[in-house]
Amino acid sequence: MTLLAVKDLHTHFVSRDTDNRVRVAKALNGVSFSLDAGRILGIVGETGAGKSLTAQSVVGLLRPPARIVAGSVAFEGRELTTMSAAELNGMRGGEIAMVVQNPRTSLDPLTRVGDQLVRLHRVHTGGPRAVSQRRALEMMEAVGIPDPVSRARSWPHELSGGMAQRILLAMALMNGPKLLIADEPTTGLDVTVQAQILDLLRDLTAQFNMATMMITHDLGVVAHFCDDIAVMFAGSIVESGPVRAVFTGPEHPYTRNLISATPERFRMGEKRISGGQPPDLYNLPPGCALQSRCAHTTDMCVATVPNIEVAPGHLALCHFAGQLAENEPVKDQTERRRA
Amino acid sequence: MTQPILTVRGLCKRFPVGGDRFVNAVNRVDLSIAPGETLGMVGESGSGKSTLGRIILRLCEPTQGSIRFDGQDITRLPKGRVRPLRRDMQMVFQDPWSALNPRMRIRDLIGEPLKLHMRLSRSERDDRIEALARRVSLSSACLNRTPSNLSGGQLQRVCIARAIATDPKLIVLDEPTSSLDLSVRAGIVELLNEICRQSRAALLFISHDLGTVRMISDRIAVLYLGEVVEQGRAEALFGSPAHPYTQALLSAHLPTDPTVKVSRHVLEGEVPSPIALPPGCKFHTRCPVAIDRCRSIVPEVHRVSTGQDARCLRIPDGGNIYHRKQTA
Repeated sequence: MTLLAVKDLHTHFVSRDTDNRVRVAKALNGVSFSLDAGRILGIVGETGAGKSLTAQSVVGLLRPPARIVAGSVAFEGRELTTMSAAELNGMRGGEIAMVVQNPRTSLDPLTRVGDQLVRLHRVHTGGPRAVSQRRALEMMEAVGIPDPVSRARSWPHELSGGMAQRILLAMALMNGPKLLIADEPTTGLDVTVQAQILDLLRDLTAQFNMATMMITHDLGVVAHFCDDIAVMFAGSIVESGPVRAVFTGPEHPYTRNLISATPERFRMGEKRISGGQPPDLYNLPPGCALQSRCAHTTDMCVATVPNIEVAPGHLALCHFAGQLAENEPVKDQTERRRA
Repeated sequence: MTQPILTVRGLCKRFPVGGDRFVNAVNRVDLSIAPGETLGMVGESGSGKSTLGRIILRLCEPTQGSIRFDGQDITRLPKGRVRPLRRDMQMVFQDPWSALNPRMRIRDLIGEPLKLHMRLSRSERDDRIEALARRVSLSSACLNRTPSNLSGGQLQRVCIARAIATDPKLIVLDEPTSSLDLSVRAGIVELLNEICRQSRAALLFISHDLGTVRMISDRIAVLYLGEVVEQGRAEALFGSPAHPYTQALLSAHLPTDPTVKVSRHVLEGEVPSPIALPPGCKFHTRCPVAIDRCRSIVPEVHRVSTGQDARCLRIPDGGNIYHRKQTA
């Protein structure tokens, strides 16, 4: 059963410039995806592609000038976008949990970590303190914290980055969430610690049958820890599908470019599409947002782009999806553009 | 064999942290780089990579050891005499946004090292600036802008242009790609590789991104708690890592291909504090193949194969290779 269904979500930043004219930055443009229990969805993209904004829109953490202007977010059939602040507060930290990138700044520096876990549990259950304390120790044990009883009494500044991230994970799990949103959970950590946290995240997703949405810019993490992938560019999901299908046969030119830029696939000396500037969100071109950087651009690309299903569950937002030559070397594409 | 451009012997750096305690950032490091060679330096955060890079350029003072650069001992050279040497040794920093003066035009930023180190007429300098911009693929329109108008990738190109302006013999690159997006990063790596081939400058490439280091380096040194635990030719080190830490580090690297089977062994625990270093082998607290001797004896460098050395007590008895379980 689909746990989370996001349909055609549009989030805009509406502000006024110095001449008091309304300016609109179209940060999310029709994001749609769905997520089932027990699965991990990896969302990748460049800085400013709208990865974190998607997560914030889903859980209603947007602050003005950002606001959702269209679309729906259904969590177990309940619409989140129209929910009142009080109802949303009941959901967040309860059924929907979030782990953010910087663990140390998201812990209260003046409260012992155990008390922070207990506090979060009691807000949602209202039960006796002793029950919450027991639950806190259980969860700290579940995330692999050695000696939870003494660790619960430590202050956030006494923890290493990896340990703080574990506490944050334990906190997210306190109320048995159905959906876990992890926004770059390992970006600030060392590779050997990253491996520990990712293993844990995958095991916990299976053990508690959660749905996990993992935002990252590391394609290696997606390739090995996620079931599904969604590639974002300029506020749209340009390609999505099962990890293996997308990595072995990327259909969108942007995905191809992204994968070919990773150290393993990257060939020295080969001419490629250069990175280029991300498009101006205040002034997006009609049709495909990638048209100025893409080697396949034709007149057709200014028209509304279809989301083509190239294989069951594998979608690509491109006029030419399914028609591009199989693993065509990017070199030829650049040459064709020059010709 | 050609004379190495840089030789570092027994380098140590300790930072006082109040009381009688010190952060042991760099511990008895031996390194050498030949002209035109690229040495990749990998390690986790806090392993002393950046400190080592800065000491080599004398941007901070070593506590012990010696640095020979271009046949000259520069360990105790006074500040005033190091300055002209900077013409031959340059650095590119991690964060291009804070490395460039926001109020100068790109033209002046690239021209600055030329002004400081070379006697050129104004027109010669202008020609050179244009040529440098072309070399790092910056359009000449960029030259009259200020850093705030350029993207991160373009700014990093400006930093590289500044570093190569005086035809240095050694360039230290401190995580030059880690603040950039993936698609931009590939372009910068390509540029560095091209520069390395054309200019015969030696590069010290500091990074924690194993994929990039593997692609660009001739030789690789692996740092753990300020100590070089293994160094060797890139193929050898990636093909058959000898030190248990290198093995763990390489196995934690995730290739971007879901069909590749990753055989990982995840290290327990975390890096010990550099203030209270563990006795014996510094890695024994997390090492899967540690034996009693590792807790007391400081391992010496052992030759594993030609051009590959590692600091591990278990190399002679062959117990250094950790056989790991196969996981998906």
